[in-house]
Amino acid sequence: MMWISGGFIFRRGTSVYHRLDPRVKLLISILMFTTTLLVRSVYELAGVLAFMISVAAVAMVLRRVARTMTFTALFSVFIFVLNLVFTGNLVTSLLYAVRFVAIVVSTSLFFITTSPDELEQVMKTFKLPRDVVFAFVTAVRFIPVMLLDTIQIMDAQKSRGLELEGGNILRRVRNMIPILIPLVVNSVVRSGELAEAMEARAYGAVAHPTSLVEYRTSVTDKVVAMAAVLLFALTAYSFYYILPAKFP
Amino acid sequence: MIEFRDVTFVHQNGVKALDSVSLRIDSGETVAIVGENGAGKTTLVKHVTGLLKPALGYVLVDGQKTTEMTTAQLSRKVGVAFQNPDHQLFSESVEEEMSFALRNFGFPPELVEQRVSWGLELFGLDEYRKSSPLVLSGGEKKRLTLACILAWDPEVVILDEPTVGQDSIQKERLVQTIRMLSSTGKTVVVVSHDIEFLWPMQPRVVVMKAGRIVGDGPAPRLMLEEELLDSARVAQPELVSFYQRLTPRPDSPFVDPLDARRWIEGRRSAP
Repeated sequence: MMWISGGFIFRRGTSVYHRLDPRVKLLISILMFTTTLLVRSVYELAGVLAFMISVAAVAMVLRRVARTMTFTALFSVFIFVLNLVFTGNLVTSLLYAVRFVAIVVSTSLFFITTSPDELEQVMKTFKLPRDVVFAFVTAVRFIPVMLLDTIQIMDAQKSRGLELEGGNILRRVRNMIPILIPLVVNSVVRSGELAEAMEARAYGAVAHPTSLVEYRTSVTDKVVAMAAVLLFALTAYSFYYILPAKFP
Repeated sequence: MIEFRDVTFVHQNGVKALDSVSLRIDSGETVAIVGENGAGKTTLVKHVTGLLKPALGYVLVDGQKTTEMTTAQLSRKVGVAFQNPDHQLFSESVEEEMSFALRNFGFPPELVEQRVSWGLELFGLDEYRKSSPLVLSGGEKKRLTLACILAWDPEVVILDEPTVGQDSIQKERLVQTIRMLSSTGKTVVVVSHDIEFLWPMQPRVVVMKAGRIVGDGPAPRLMLEEELLDSARVAQPELVSFYQRLTPRPDSPFVDPLDARRWIEGRRSAP
């Protein structure tokens, strides 16, 4: 479980990509995401995916992106089979399946290289209500904690003779009850405690609190953002006016 | 009998939690595992129940490798009360919570009822029999998890930080329970930072530091080794410290650290 989560959760890094302004990283991810939706052939999609892998290499998160891809591949197999059954077209089915992997990788690249604090700053840029930003960022921040909780709960219940692996599907679902109830109860209790702790530290005391770090876009950030937009424009243009359409 | 042979365990993040650990715990022994946070104490005991499998070496429980059994199979022999009781409580009532493991192990209903009543009475939880375990206080939850473990009568009982959230009276009761378990031939392994709690039981003490065992011996001897305890960031029991400070004086009334306890108890009971 922790192995899979490594493909989606932020860990501090020192790469050039990590150091980019989070808004630029978000822009790059949005552009990669959009490009994935624009592709019309498997070849174009392979090109986009190769670009994403290059970005992952620059960000030095190749292994973690490989985890994202491995995990997503499980679902994309399902998408592939479902499409093949209903459309009967192998190429279309493959395109949809791989497109799903590419979409997840494009978003995962943003989340695994952007800290919750940076995420908060990005959301503030869009003038979202502070409570909404706080709730979202806290949820993201608590994902690793909940994963750890899940593992510890599973350990505790397995130590009381609970078999999680064996049995039919109904039994397996029933066996999840001793895992899910403590997990939900702990989360509710934790959120209550967190709310009290936040209020005890003057959360909500003023309408516009100050920030510890104010993000300023550097020249590098501006150059990277412009290059990303230019590359996107060129790619989109080539998809529609240069490369032949292969996707029905 | 539990045996670790050259066990090495590395976490997914690359941290070596156990480094060539070899340890033998005989049946009926009471062993305390001490050491600072991150020393590898909980990782060590998780190997006994097969929750973690060694990267190198192996762990034997009653002569069987833990890698060849599931945790559910091993837990019939080894009961572990984990540090945080909130990680296991889920049932509608305290008695149902207690019977969970017993039902998993296929105990007949009349024996389940008998074991549940015994456990609730032993830990003073009888009045909460029909209450939700979630409404109990921290200390009561902790006692419930211990009762849950003892209910199925495992050969080995592992207690991970059992004194967290317990007041002094409950700690004293816990000491009595551990003594009772020892007297009935159970193997008891206690992982704790609470040296004052461990000291009266006079267990065999295993000191861990950075995934290695750096000290192993009876409490009266090991607790005198100030340098070792300092390096492993383990506090010395107050009584031992008291004894050591007085020993150089010619009029010291103590022969050994245990004598200090007897001396204090004698003064308390004196008119």
